[in-house]
Amino acid sequence: MKILAVDDDPIILELLSHFIEGMTDHTLVTAECAADALQVIKDNARAPFDSFLLDIQMPVTDGIELASQIRSMKQYIEAPILMLTAMSEKSYIDAAFSAGATDYVTKPFEMTELKARLSLVERAVEGLATRTSKIFAAKAVTHHNGKPERAVQLHEPMAIHDVNNLIEFMALENYVQQLSRSDLFGSICFAFNIRDVEHFHGSMSNFEFCSMLSDVGEIISDTLDGCQFLMSYAGGGTFVCITESGWRPDPRLLANDINISLAKTELFDNRGEHINPRICAGKAVRLMWKTNSSVMDALSEAHVSAEEATANYQKVQNDFWNVGRTA
Amino acid sequence: MHQKLELPGIERIRARFLEMLEQRQRALAEHALAAWEGTSLQDINDNLTEARRILHQIAGTAGSLGFDDLGTIARDNEVAIDTHLDGPSGKIASCPTEIIFGLDDFLKSSEALIAEQATLESA
Repeated sequence: MKILAVDDDPIILELLSHFIEGMTDHTLVTAECAADALQVIKDNARAPFDSFLLDIQMPVTDGIELASQIRSMKQYIEAPILMLTAMSEKSYIDAAFSAGATDYVTKPFEMTELKARLSLVERAVEGLATRTSKIFAAKAVTHHNGKPERAVQLHEPMAIHDVNNLIEFMALENYVQQLSRSDLFGSICFAFNIRDVEHFHGSMSNFEFCSMLSDVGEIISDTLDGCQFLMSYAGGGTFVCITESGWRPDPRLLANDINISLAKTELFDNRGEHINPRICAGKAVRLMWKTNSSVMDALSEAHVSAEEATANYQKVQNDFWNVGRTA
Repeated sequence: MHQKLELPGIERIRARFLEMLEQRQRALAEHALAAWEGTSLQDINDNLTEARRILHQIAGTAGSLGFDDLGTIARDNEVAIDTHLDGPSGKIASCPTEIIFGLDDFLKSSEALIAEQATLESA
C-alpha cells in the first residue's frame, strides 16, 4: 500500500516511517499539516494513495476537516482513512467517523496495535480493488449484451456518500468495537429495512438502485437529525443505526416519520416512473454489558429484527386477502 | 523503561525526542510563566493553550518510545488545562495555582529524564 501520514508532530512521523518502512512492505509519504497533505495528494495524482493516517488534532485545519476534504475527492471516496488520536474523547472520534474515517488508533500507540490496524486497512484496500474489478467486469458485460448491470449485490454492504452521519459499514463495525464500556452503557442500535427491496434490486439498474438507497438513507438521516447517531447501509435494504447515550428511540415511531417523509418526497426511476420505497423498523437493541463479540452480535440482531419486521408486514398484507377463504 | 518498543534503530528516534524535549520544556516554562504573570484573559488563555499543545505532543509519543511516566504526567497536565479552559474558571483572568504546580512537576520529571538518559549514554 502507498500511505499518506499527516501529523504536526515530527516524532510521530518518524515513528510511523520507522515502523512502516522497517516492518512492512508499505510505502509511507508524510506531511506535517493539512495544507502540505493536500499539495502532496495533488503531486501524487498519477500514483494515488491507497490509504491515509491522519492526526485528529492539528493546528489550522484539523484531521477531521482534512478527512472530509479527502473524502470529497472522487478517487478517494472509499479509500480507508485511519485517524490517529491522542484523545479518547468520544465527541472527536464520532466527528472523525462522520467525516469519513474508517477506523482510529489512540496515541501513544503500540506497534502491535498499529500493525493490526494496518492489516485491516490492507484487507479493506484489497476488497476495494476486487469490488472495483467486479464492477468493471459487470460493465463490460452490460455493454456487450445490453442487459441491466448486476454489480451491486443485494446483500452486500455499500458505501453511500454525502449523507450526514452515514458511514461505511466497516467503519461502523470498527467504531462499535472500540466503544468503551461506559460509552456502550447508554448506546442503542436499531435498523430499518426497505420493503420489497428484492423487487427494487431486480428491476432497477445499479445507478437507480444506488440512488434509491441514497435517497432513503438521506431521509432516515434527516429524520434522526438533532440526535447524536451514526448509521450505515448494511446490505439487503437495511440501514443500521447506533445512537448515543441519553436518547431512547422508539424505532416504530421513527419508521412512521420516515415513511411520511418518503411519501412526501417524490422519487422517480430513470424512466420517469414514480417509485414508492417504504421501510419497516426492527427492535431497539441495547449495547450495555456487552463484550466485543456480543456487540457485533447486537448489530446483527438489530439487522435481522428489521428484516423480520418487513417479512411480518408482507405476511400481514398477504394474509389480509386470505381472510375468510378456505382451502 | 524501554520495554514497549525495541525495533532496530529506535534509539535514533528516542534521541531526537529527548533533544526536542529540551526545547519543548523551555517553551513550556516560558508559557507557564507568561500565563502566571498574565493580566488579561486572552493573554493567560493563549499561553495555557500553547502549553497544552506542547504537552499534547509529548503525551502522544512518550509512551510509544518507552517514556510512559513522562507521557502520563504530560497527559494529566493536558487534561487539567482542558478542564480549566472549558470550565467557568476559564472565563476569569487568573491562572490557577494547581496548573502551575502541575506544570512544575512535569518540568522536574522532564529534566530528571533527560539527566538520566544522559547518564545512561555516557556510561
